[in-house]
Amino acid sequence: MEKILQKKSFPKWVEKLDAYEIYSPVKKDNTWSYEIINTPGDIELDYPNAVQAPKKIINPQREVFLEFGRSDDDTLEVTEVLPEEKSVVIFGVRPCDAKALTLTDLVFSEDIKDNYYGKRRKQTAIIGLACNTPPSPNCFCTSVDGSPHSEDGFDILLTDLGDRYFVKSLTNMGNDLINLGKGLFVAPKANEKKELAKIHADAEKKLKRQVNDVEKIPPKLKEMFESAFWDEESMSCLRCGICTYLCPTCHCFDISDEVTSVAPFKGYRIRTWDNCQFPDFTMHSSGHNPRPDKASRLRQRIMHKYQYFVERYDHYQCTGCGRCISKCPVGIDIIEVLNKVRDYG
Amino acid sequence: MDNENVYLPKLAKIINIKDEVNGARPIKTFRAQLLTETNFSHRCGQCAMVSVFGKGESMFAISSSPLVKDYLQFSIMKMGRVTSSLHSMKEDDIIGIRGPLGNSFPIEDWKGKKLIFIGGGIGLAPIWSVLQFALGQKKDYGDLILIYGARTSKDLVFKEELEELRKEMTVHLSVDVEEEGWKEFVGFVPQNVTDKKPSPKNAIAITCGPPIMIKFVIQALGDLGFKDDQIYTTVENKMKCGIGICGRCNIGMHYVCKDGPVYSWAELKELPQEY
Ligand SMILES: Cc1cc2nc3c(=O)[nH]c(=O)nc-3n(C[C@H](O)[C@H](O)[C@H](O)COP(=O)(O)OP(=O)(O)OC[C@H]3O[C@@H](n4cnc5c(N)ncnc54)[C@H](O)[C@@H]3O)c2cc1C
Ligand code: SF4
Ligand code: SF4
Ligand code: FES
Repeated sequence: MEKILQKKSFPKWVEKLDAYEIYSPVKKDNTWSYEIINTPGDIELDYPNAVQAPKKIINPQREVFLEFGRSDDDTLEVTEVLPEEKSVVIFGVRPCDAKALTLTDLVFSEDIKDNYYGKRRKQTAIIGLACNTPPSPNCFCTSVDGSPHSEDGFDILLTDLGDRYFVKSLTNMGNDLINLGKGLFVAPKANEKKELAKIHADAEKKLKRQVNDVEKIPPKLKEMFESAFWDEESMSCLRCGICTYLCPTCHCFDISDEVTSVAPFKGYRIRTWDNCQFPDFTMHSSGHNPRPDKASRLRQRIMHKYQYFVERYDHYQCTGCGRCISKCPVGIDIIEVLNKVRDYG
Repeated sequence: MDNENVYLPKLAKIINIKDEVNGARPIKTFRAQLLTETNFSHRCGQCAMVSVFGKGESMFAISSSPLVKDYLQFSIMKMGRVTSSLHSMKEDDIIGIRGPLGNSFPIEDWKGKKLIFIGGGIGLAPIWSVLQFALGQKKDYGDLILIYGARTSKDLVFKEELEELRKEMTVHLSVDVEEEGWKEFVGFVPQNVTDKKPSPKNAIAITCGPPIMIKFVIQALGDLGFKDDQIYTTVENKMKCGIGICGRCNIGMHYVCKDGPVYSWAELKELPQEY
């Protein structure tokens, strides 16, 4: 379904969505983050990409799986704690971050289904904003099967046409949301469709960075497992892990128990984000560590995204959002690493 | 299936605990019965996540045969948080079990073949379920041979069962260093393999134990003429979810918890050596 929505009508549409919990990019301490908004006026759709991808809403950094405890008669009780049932809308999602959700979907519902992730995913509508200009100087989505107006993972994609949005609904959930704003939306005219096409085409040209011939990288990586390349590239890494915490496609987690009271015995089993750049990630209790150094961990990060994931799911596990580049304190730049890999040897 | 919570363990009662090995790294064998479910069924070599609520979860090989329906058995070495807590448990204590997890030994394909089990230390646990299964279906298989060793005789697990086993199949034991009263082989498990010279003809070798032992056992078997696809082993990596989601246990594109832990050497040698 394609529609036009006047920007001045946008708040009126959001008002109609009062049955939903609404997230949008919000400016906080000079950075942008996805937060729950209270009034339509809080929604800001003129923003660079948020520091944290909206993955935190679908796959929160800390999530309770189970509650356990002992009752008065000392019987052990274990209860599952499922995510709260509610309808959620996220506004202002960038195409790279929406596509990232389609990639984590592959992992969380390969054949064994993670109901926590699955439930949130199902009850959350993703409303995107096409990038008319790249929101980060390190954007390179067009190198990895993406684009500044890619529709993957969206229920609705908005494109800014100045005083109007071009609104494209891509799912039934999207149609339902538009129907709630009946009367506010009109059909696009032929010239508006042309304008859309031009904006989209121009946007692609504005990306400053790229990885050429990316398809050469997976087979190349296959030959580079033992290469000294990884020692050189990882030399300056501080193993802070910010590259993976902020990555919209990184999904690795830890499961641990938190005891909140000893008598009476009570606690939670929780999932928390974890990080392949930490030495403990793979260290066995015996002390043996299959990935004992920074080189093997950087290699894992790159190979997971550009070889293993491709072999398993036929997609790159990187959407080119550029966060790991912008935020790495020592300037390790995945685009440079990938370009070097392609040309290595 | 879709509505099943894959992270929710089933509660089970410990019905029996047996000391296997004492010392700095003690091993105990636990038998547990699920409180509600009666139709738990696993295949040889599969594992389960065992929970001690308040401590966490750990992955263990199910060492009982799939033919045994009354209990699930685990042999557990005391290492850290979860395993220490299990070692301090008593009969009737409640644990959680998630599983069965992972793949299994392709025992159906092995019908009519000679099976040679080669284990070191706690590595007998994953071997035990397939060994017991093969014994239970003895007519389907050729000769059954066990080559098993540990540092000292005190470090051998299933000592009583091993004596019983001698009545039904060939058992070759070893200890690493000379000790008083020891009448069998002295030396490392791979050396015992070379010494006993099992023939590769129509045979399958199944080896589990410390990585270094596995490496040399595979070499020894290769020298005896075993082909890579006649050798099977299990891989251990640190695990959390056990179902291929948490991203922790991978070697290359494989998640050991889901695609493994059982691999033929032909398969494993194609993967990066990150285990
Ligand atoms: C497929 C598989 C089968 C196994 N079978 C057996 C068995 O039959 N008997 C046995 O004694 N041990 C077995 N292990 C090893 C056993 O899982 C670890 O010794 C155990 O997890 C240590 O837990 P801990 O809490 O006591 O140690 P800690 O050092 O406190 O570890 C904390 C947590 O890290 C994870 N972890 C640490 N080391 C390992 C490891 N080597 N493997 C997996 N997870 C780890 C666990 O979640 C553990 O709870 C197996 C491991 C795997 C992967
Ligand atoms: S952000 Fe940079 S320094 Fe930090 S772990 Fe990643 S590569 Fe290393
Ligand atoms: S690897 Fe870097 S550029 Fe690629 S999706 Fe993750 S954070 Fe973005
Ligand atoms: S333990 Fe989580 S992916 Fe294997």
